[in-house]
Amino acid sequence: MLTVCHLYPDLLNLYGDRGNITAFVRRCEWRGIPVEVREIGLGQPVDFEAVDFVFLGGGSDREQTLMAEDLARRREELWAAIEGDLVVLAICGGYQLLGRYYRTLQGETIPGLGLLDFHTRAGEKRLIGDIAVEVELDGRKVRLVGFENHGGQTFLGQVSPLGRVLAGYGNNGVDGTEGARYRNVFCSYLHGPLLPKNTVFTDYLISRALARRGQESFLRPLDDTFEERAREVILRRLRVARQGDG
Amino acid sequence: MKLRLCAAILAGKIAAGLARLCGRRGSSLPGVVALRLYPGVLRALVKQVRLGVIVVTGTNGKTTTSNMIAEMLAAAGFRIVNNREGANLITGVTAAFVRAARLVGKITCDYAVLEVDEASFPRVVAQTEPELVVITNFFRDQLDRYGELDTTVSFIRRTLAERPHVSLVLNADDPLVSQLASCSLDVIFYGVAPRSGARGRVGGAREARFCPLCGYALEYTCYHYSQLGMYRCEACGFGRPRPHVEATAASVGGQVLRARLRWDDMVISVVLPTRGVYNLYNALAAFTAGIVLGIDPATATASLGSYTPATGRLQGFLYQGKPVYLNLVKNPAGFNETLNLLLAGRSTRDVFIAINDNDADGRDISWLWDVDFEVLAGADDILGFICSGKRGEEMAVRLKYAGVPPRKITVVESLRAAVDRTLNGPGEAAYFLATYTALWPVEKLLRRRVTRDTKYAHGLSSLS
Repeated sequence: MLTVCHLYPDLLNLYGDRGNITAFVRRCEWRGIPVEVREIGLGQPVDFEAVDFVFLGGGSDREQTLMAEDLARRREELWAAIEGDLVVLAICGGYQLLGRYYRTLQGETIPGLGLLDFHTRAGEKRLIGDIAVEVELDGRKVRLVGFENHGGQTFLGQVSPLGRVLAGYGNNGVDGTEGARYRNVFCSYLHGPLLPKNTVFTDYLISRALARRGQESFLRPLDDTFEERAREVILRRLRVARQGDG
Repeated sequence: MKLRLCAAILAGKIAAGLARLCGRRGSSLPGVVALRLYPGVLRALVKQVRLGVIVVTGTNGKTTTSNMIAEMLAAAGFRIVNNREGANLITGVTAAFVRAARLVGKITCDYAVLEVDEASFPRVVAQTEPELVVITNFFRDQLDRYGELDTTVSFIRRTLAERPHVSLVLNADDPLVSQLASCSLDVIFYGVAPRSGARGRVGGAREARFCPLCGYALEYTCYHYSQLGMYRCEACGFGRPRPHVEATAASVGGQVLRARLRWDDMVISVVLPTRGVYNLYNALAAFTAGIVLGIDPATATASLGSYTPATGRLQGFLYQGKPVYLNLVKNPAGFNETLNLLLAGRSTRDVFIAINDNDADGRDISWLWDVDFEVLAGADDILGFICSGKRGEEMAVRLKYAGVPPRKITVVESLRAAVDRTLNGPGEAAYFLATYTALWPVEKLLRRRVTRDTKYAHGLSSLS
């Protein structure tokens, strides 16, 4: 039994990111792994130790401010669970929020949760378009595809990137990094949404969540023909040669 | 100046002719060419409009609403300039005027009825200075092009606030629209009266969970679709204004759409040869604009009763006796309503969905995951889904994760092959859904194959 925690689904519903929850849940269900989804709104209690997968998406500015205030009150519990290998996926605005701060074009500094060592600065132009990233999961190289659309440019400190940009902008369009990773926390700018057509990555998150509970983490393979074709459309379009990935 | 104007019109008309010869629609090309030659062409032609310019904007329903208004005015004997095909950027608006202009630089026109893209609204309004602005609704649409919805609405607000004497016809049921009332001294609201059981089956993707004025959560007592309904903010008192023109006793699910329209102490019945609650809103917006413009209500409803849908607005065809429908899909709110129509059918159906991600469609297709395709999971009378377009594969993934059995899903890359396969599918009816840039090629393919357009002849009586 896995418990999925969807944080602030009412607030952070831009860019179809709820598809990430759908993908995680379906791929568990198709394998007979029972899943429960808990939608957590502002001020509602949540025990991060008791959940297995936390999803944090992005929203418009106003909604993001509301979420930041609420999450700040849960910071310590969240941090303890992260140190206990809780699996977290944070996309776009949710990603930026986990860092130290966000600096606006006007020079105003909005503090983040400071859980991971990176910061974000508003850029002059939004970074928009299809993107392909290479990530390494347990020593295996995997290509992820998605669509990025962010005004903020993120610069990493003492934290690893999620992957290397093959085509597109990534964190800031300059240093070739995309996203951030710490233990089982995965941060990314990839919408699309990310999980449905990047099935190897999704299954990796599921097995990490199972392993944290000491459960069998080998996953029965599924028929991913549609997902693979959808992913290849973008890889072909970006002219990223296919080699050695699952 | 006069010479440049004439040259621009001539060049625009030549461009239109060449585009036609090449088999392209070119509905905005004449505008592109004319504006290049003479940037003042639009202003010069708009000045000659005798009675006024009417602008229709909003996310969904622009094309239908503006065409309904144009037909209504034409039925009342006025001469109209109208960008009928939905080319709604400044170039498309200019093209409509160039088409209507004579080579000497003159147009004879009483009203211009223009549908205008939300992002182009400030620019088009600055050049055309409309007397009347109709706003339908605001939903998320093509985020990568416009930025967030809040930004779009704030640009429109600013443009209107600088022109307090422009009359506004606003949708009372959409909080994102009705909040704009403070911009004008002359506001007329339209809305749909609460219906029993109005909680639509498909209703996700609501944009306005929070009060646009104070940010507090909005309370709803009734939803018509998406965020349209009866809302109120307990914190600041903002709420659905009482509509001046209201639709009551509406029936939207059958082959025709029926409603009673009430304003002041008058009531009139209307029957439209189309379906869906969003078309009720379109007709209501058009009728309200008609009332504001002094059109006789009987003329207005008669005109609505004979309305023929524009390309891809639930256009009907017959293929070897089989009913075939074509509908544009471009954002979650509209797609959800289309799914409601799809589910309302009683015959077995084949469904074609073409998703492109060109600029005009929106390059980010993440929004497909905000559409409630989950309602299709148990729809046994939908026999098959044929996915096509540049992102047909992604559509297939979406349907699979919505719970549609994979054996019912096929990806066919070529539009032509996909259209043929759907037309010849086992269903008793066929539905074609396409994003903007896929719509025209699909329509062309359908036209070559269908026997005739269906006319809902039984829907024509409009007065009671």
